[in-house]
Amino acid sequence: MSKTTNIQIAKVHLTSKIWQTFVAVLGVTFGVSMYIFMNSFMNGVNNAQDDLAFSALSHIRIYNLDNKNDYNPIESHYKDSKTLVTILNRKNIQYTTGLNNSSAIVSSVMKQPEVVAIARQVNANVFFRGGSKQVNGIISGVELKSEDELFNTAETVIQGEWNNLLTYKTGIILGKLLAEKLGLQINNSVNVLTSDGVSKNYIIVGIFESNLKTMDETKAYLNITAARQLVGKNSDFASDIMVNIKDRDNTASFIQKIASMIPYQIESWQEANEQLVAGSELRNIIAVAVSLTILLVAGFGIYNIMTMTINEKIREIAILKALGFSGNDIMTIFLTQATVIGLLGALVGAIMGYGISLLINMIPFTIAGMETLPIFFRAQDFLLAIVFGILTTLIAGYLPSRKASKIDPVIIIRG
Amino acid sequence: MEKTISIEINNLIKYFYEPEKFQVLKGLSFTVQKGEFLSIVGKSGSGKSTLLYVLSTMDTDYEGTLKINGDVLTGKTQNQLAAFRNEHIGFVFQFHYLLPEFTALQNVMLPALKLGKLSIEEIEHKAYESLRLLDLKGQELKNAKRLSGGQQQRVAIARALINSPSVIMGDEPTGNLDTKNSRAVQDIFKQLAQEHGQTIICVTHDPDFANNTDRIIEMQDGLILS
Ligand SMILES: Nc1ncnc2c1ncn2[C@@H]1O[C@H](COP(=O)(O)OP(=O)(O)OP(=O)(O)O)[C@@H](O)[C@H]1O
Ligand SMILES: [Mg+2]
Repeated sequence: MSKTTNIQIAKVHLTSKIWQTFVAVLGVTFGVSMYIFMNSFMNGVNNAQDDLAFSALSHIRIYNLDNKNDYNPIESHYKDSKTLVTILNRKNIQYTTGLNNSSAIVSSVMKQPEVVAIARQVNANVFFRGGSKQVNGIISGVELKSEDELFNTAETVIQGEWNNLLTYKTGIILGKLLAEKLGLQINNSVNVLTSDGVSKNYIIVGIFESNLKTMDETKAYLNITAARQLVGKNSDFASDIMVNIKDRDNTASFIQKIASMIPYQIESWQEANEQLVAGSELRNIIAVAVSLTILLVAGFGIYNIMTMTINEKIREIAILKALGFSGNDIMTIFLTQATVIGLLGALVGAIMGYGISLLINMIPFTIAGMETLPIFFRAQDFLLAIVFGILTTLIAGYLPSRKASKIDPVIIIRG
Repeated sequence: MEKTISIEINNLIKYFYEPEKFQVLKGLSFTVQKGEFLSIVGKSGSGKSTLLYVLSTMDTDYEGTLKINGDVLTGKTQNQLAAFRNEHIGFVFQFHYLLPEFTALQNVMLPALKLGKLSIEEIEHKAYESLRLLDLKGQELKNAKRLSGGQQQRVAIARALINSPSVIMGDEPTGNLDTKNSRAVQDIFKQLAQEHGQTIICVTHDPDFANNTDRIIEMQDGLILS
């Protein structure tokens, strides 16, 4: 019964100075809502960044590059003898690059349950020529359907059709800026010159505009069979195989799984784009730092308010103790107040954080394919914000409460 | 009624250290019988309030021993003493201290709610009854801070009575009251002492009040004169 009495006393304290309670609750609300907003915003930014990046980047890339430059039979033969070896003007032989048996690899990778999409590409550096203009760039021979599954390329085509590449054997789709540089338009013809000196004419059957400027400036798509012809490779050749898996944060374990079956290089997007990973990590650190600071500041506010309340009530505390209330009772009374302030503040803060985020989500921001400022909600942010909010309040309320519980009543009552 | 000892102090000495070391109580010893109505008189500054704070167990910074109802209270912890006060001692302060944000009724009920021996309904009933006895009918639901000085003092008296403590102490409990109310309080105390065997100790400056009690202790400069 004494417990409920303490709670009732806490209730009277909270309601008799409603304005003070309101300010304290507001402090927590502010901290919690800012925490939620900051994190949702940062998640939104990270997701937007990733979406942007993954419009040209697959989760995993399989390729074969001749990078074995350490083959040196002469030196290794004489290594332990006393013979002095000098090789002048050493040259490396060009080995074949690319994957000549791509369909076997595709079918074995496809068997993995994690895989959501897979596409082969034949990529080559070429010169594009239109009239007297010459621009260097990349030609990408693609499997139309799978390529679109991975990167949604079809919807970036702003003139002509993605599937025109299927119907027109000599069709090509150019990046918008590339076409502009060459001074060419749809249905014009463009000449492509490979590094091996092969030159071929194609009809422009489409123009694409992606969110990445460099792609629009340098890239052109061919059907993969046409590209194989251009670079003079067999009908099972691919220079890269792009794979998307269910959980893109889980590339490492997936690569480990397939590495034994595939005798080529396998690269995850994290390895290929360390700056992307670093950027999102740094943003996360900033978000956590800022939101913790906010909570800390809110905590100090609550500490101040609780200390003020207790100083104001010091005579009442002395009377309660004189009447027989123990130090623990006093502690319960003030911690109850802190708990109520924390709970109320955290709940209202969660709702407000949600509301603020929704408002920010309506602010227009039309760069790189975005329409508004990005917001992404995660349940864990809400949970953490509420837990942190209540915890901060309790800690901020605990110290003054302990002080209150130690007050010696006679000193105050004697006056 | 059989005579048992209610309060016993032995060689009570107390110092104040601010602004300089100064002996307020200079070795007091006396006993109070159960059911006795005792008054303490003496000049202002003679140490009456100081003595009462020691007797009420709130002040623990003294030399000598204090025994109430046979329990040695000297050396107990603050929390033990708080629990003891709650059950056994009712106190009316010299400057009537009520909780200003609570109603008169709530103020009276608090010690009983803390004790937790009766149901809330019983406590409420008892509180209404005490308040009525002290001529506070109609004031029960007013906030304490909206009551007059004399009304506040009577609420404080009602609060001291609520747990039917074995000892009731008052530091000039009728200091703010008119003659009629003062008489009423004296009558209540007298009745509690005689009919319920509650021990009552009151510091007073009012000779009428003092003469109305069973025994008078007179203090001077930290010593008992008679
Ligand atoms: N907190 C304190 N610190 C130092 N000295 C004190 C303190 N409280 C009281 N005194 C001194 O102790 C002496 C006794 O004070 P006390 O309050 O007991 O007197 P009293 O008999 O109750 O007087 P009154 O009739 O005016 O209430 C006084 O000389 C007073 O100045
Ligand atoms: Mg006094």
